[in-house]
Amino acid sequence: MKRRALWFLPLLLVFVLASGTIFAQNLKEFDVFTGEPLPDYPGSTIVGDIIRAETGVKLNREALVGDLETKVGLMIASGDYPDMVVAAHFTSLLKDAGALIPLNDLIEEHAPNLKRLYANHWEMLQQEDGNVYWLPIQALPYGPDTSRYPSLAFFMNKRVLKDAGWPEVKTLDQYFQLIEDYMAKYPTINGESTIGYLTLFDDWRSFATTNVPQHLMGYPNEGEFVPVMEKGRYVVKEYHTSRTAKAYYQKLNEMYNKGVVDKETFIMNYDQYIEKLSSGRVLGTFNQFWQMQEGQNYLLRDDPESMFVPLPIVIDTLVEERQRDIPYVQPTQGMDITVACDDPVGAIKYLDYLIQEDTQRLLQWGIEGEHYEVDENGLYYRTPEQLALFRDPDWVQNVFGRQYFFNAFPSLRGLDENGNMFFPDTQPHLIYSDSTDSEKEVMDAYGVQSFSALFNEPIFKKYFPLWTITMPAGSPAHIEETRMKDVLNRYVPELVMSKPEQFEGIWANYVKDIRPLMVEQMKLYQEEIDWRMENW
Amino acid sequence: MNASLTLAKRGHVFWQRLKQQKILILMSVPFLIHIVIFKYIPIWGWLMAFQNYWPGKPILQQTWVGLENFRLLFDDVVFYEVLRNTLAMSVIKLVMGTVSSIALALMLNEVRKIRFKKAAQTISYLPHFISWVVAANLVRDALSTDGGVVNRALMSLRIIKEPIMFLGIPTLFWWVIGFSHVWKEVGWGAIIYLAAIAGIDPALYEAAKIDGAGRLKQIWYITIPSIRPTISILLIMNMGYLMSSGFEQQYLLQNGRVIDYARVFTIYELDYGIKMMRYSFATAVGIFRSVVSLILVFSTNQLAKRWGQERLV
Repeated sequence: MKRRALWFLPLLLVFVLASGTIFAQNLKEFDVFTGEPLPDYPGSTIVGDIIRAETGVKLNREALVGDLETKVGLMIASGDYPDMVVAAHFTSLLKDAGALIPLNDLIEEHAPNLKRLYANHWEMLQQEDGNVYWLPIQALPYGPDTSRYPSLAFFMNKRVLKDAGWPEVKTLDQYFQLIEDYMAKYPTINGESTIGYLTLFDDWRSFATTNVPQHLMGYPNEGEFVPVMEKGRYVVKEYHTSRTAKAYYQKLNEMYNKGVVDKETFIMNYDQYIEKLSSGRVLGTFNQFWQMQEGQNYLLRDDPESMFVPLPIVIDTLVEERQRDIPYVQPTQGMDITVACDDPVGAIKYLDYLIQEDTQRLLQWGIEGEHYEVDENGLYYRTPEQLALFRDPDWVQNVFGRQYFFNAFPSLRGLDENGNMFFPDTQPHLIYSDSTDSEKEVMDAYGVQSFSALFNEPIFKKYFPLWTITMPAGSPAHIEETRMKDVLNRYVPELVMSKPEQFEGIWANYVKDIRPLMVEQMKLYQEEIDWRMENW
Repeated sequence: MNASLTLAKRGHVFWQRLKQQKILILMSVPFLIHIVIFKYIPIWGWLMAFQNYWPGKPILQQTWVGLENFRLLFDDVVFYEVLRNTLAMSVIKLVMGTVSSIALALMLNEVRKIRFKKAAQTISYLPHFISWVVAANLVRDALSTDGGVVNRALMSLRIIKEPIMFLGIPTLFWWVIGFSHVWKEVGWGAIIYLAAIAGIDPALYEAAKIDGAGRLKQIWYITIPSIRPTISILLIMNMGYLMSSGFEQQYLLQNGRVIDYARVFTIYELDYGIKMMRYSFATAVGIFRSVVSLILVFSTNQLAKRWGQERLV
């Protein structure tokens, strides 16, 4: 019996080898690491199949599992690189380690589209040696756009606003007052206890809690420090020990002791956070939109009345709110080609194909007549049936396949060459009309056509934003930053969860501990901001 | 007989025994090679600790900095916290793990119903096979204040009135680590003791019975003394792991609130070493750990020798 079964094995081997070589002849293969968690490629998707047929390239993808900083550190330590890497905020580490090849000559010779579409940003991308090593994941070749949602906000459950008769909410005190009142009125939602306020504090995502003081002071997301205009020059200031920070943590402390802030908020992880948000019983949370969007999408699908509404909240009415940002390019990170790549010309040609307007249109809008229509003015729109397809996140990812060529790969945003937007979500005449009924109800109540319009117009700053400045690895400023985050991690939960009468004492210790850990960082940021103001 | 003759004879005996045991020696050669390749050759990398290592250059062309990395290490206040946490959690895990495994083995040994015994054993060692990534989420859910099973049980038993936030109280973190370690590893740890118990000569028990020893007395006077060599060998070997109290468990269960009590050497090496590309610094921490571990193992071995116990070398 056993022996008879064995003839099968050599045959299998022959099959495997044969099919392997046939495929190898047809398709070029590249290994790509993308620094974002994404399930394995489904094998065949609408856009993926077109791209593969037109380029003859097959990607062997490795997505992020766990922590990106660790992954990049280990990649460098082992010297084992894929052909292309997207390492987000840690891209410059790869360059410092000598893992990246310069792209300028490659682009000059083989990639006319990349050259044309990144022309606006080219100077920002040049490193000290004059070379360009990576392509930011978004380029803005023809002009910016605005989105339906602002990039960050204090979010409030629609039920609260509706119940209170759509009030104007401006300050942190008003915001929490509304939540408190609603909680007193409705201690349970959907049969489970109401959660007043949730703040995310999981590992590196804790900036969702600690970045808030700068926004309460009216600033968009700058990072750990804010450049303030003083006598015609941007001066880097810290906000972690500011009066606003103190007022913010004291408010959270008060709310925690009243049971409004969720007891578990500092020990839950990101999955638990999204799970709670999607349950519809959370009344408020602060976050950057992309970090809570998943929860919002579930709510819009399953419990639209509990959707979150972004609100422009500041510490008091004297503060001028400018929390929105103008879409910008992240010049310190992007897609790169490593020294391990045998065929850099093939790789750059592939990226060049991806970036051209037609490919981008395919990724964002789909196929004309099938996924979108063009009206008599040349503007794109979607029929209700097409819209329904694109509202289903599972379909967009697994059947259409956009995610596999978008977030990590060079792409275009903003206006396109014929007056449409690359992102369907930002097509101006569609922002309102393509919203869900629940979203429209809120927009109507506040008399706006998009949630971004609840906020003031952003201000243009040449250097913006500070957080795209990367620290030299292992430098004193870098070590200081890690220590500072340690202090924040330790003190912030204590500040919020302690008894109100202990707050002052803890605050004094916190200020004493964190002050000395900002000196080197501020020096470095100041130098870089000055440099950007001069050279960009 | 004079000395040189004895030596010659001894040499002769040595070669004879070598010849006799050549099969055994041949069998151990692959493992020796494995150890040399994976444990001794990497020690070459220790040179990094005395350099300012930067990737992309051969190790001998790096800049040398002497003991600078060790100075940085011993000057760091976090280091002493880390040392305390590592030792505390290791000792808690070692003591709780050993005691609970022995207790479980003794109890299982006394069970007469084979089917129950098998089932109990399988259930108790199943958690060993799930990774900490999954296990940590189970622990998080179980300890949650928002309907976690532990808080619910304690509340319905009227031991506590309000749910306790087990993962949010810094001083409790070591014990969360200790108990979750016991939950995950107790069954697995018991297997080796069960095996040792199975090797005990039944005649000893019969003799004890005739002398009138009950069940408890049999455990105390026969079972425990018989597995004492196993216990002491395992203890000595585990001494070597005192300086590395695990990684995933702490890493996945920690949060900002308890970081002062949760950070162990492995996490420290990651946060302040590898993530910042301070490979030299991480290596220095590693060397410190290895040296201390070696001292610990040898001194326990020495102690065991003095107390007349079974020992490693």
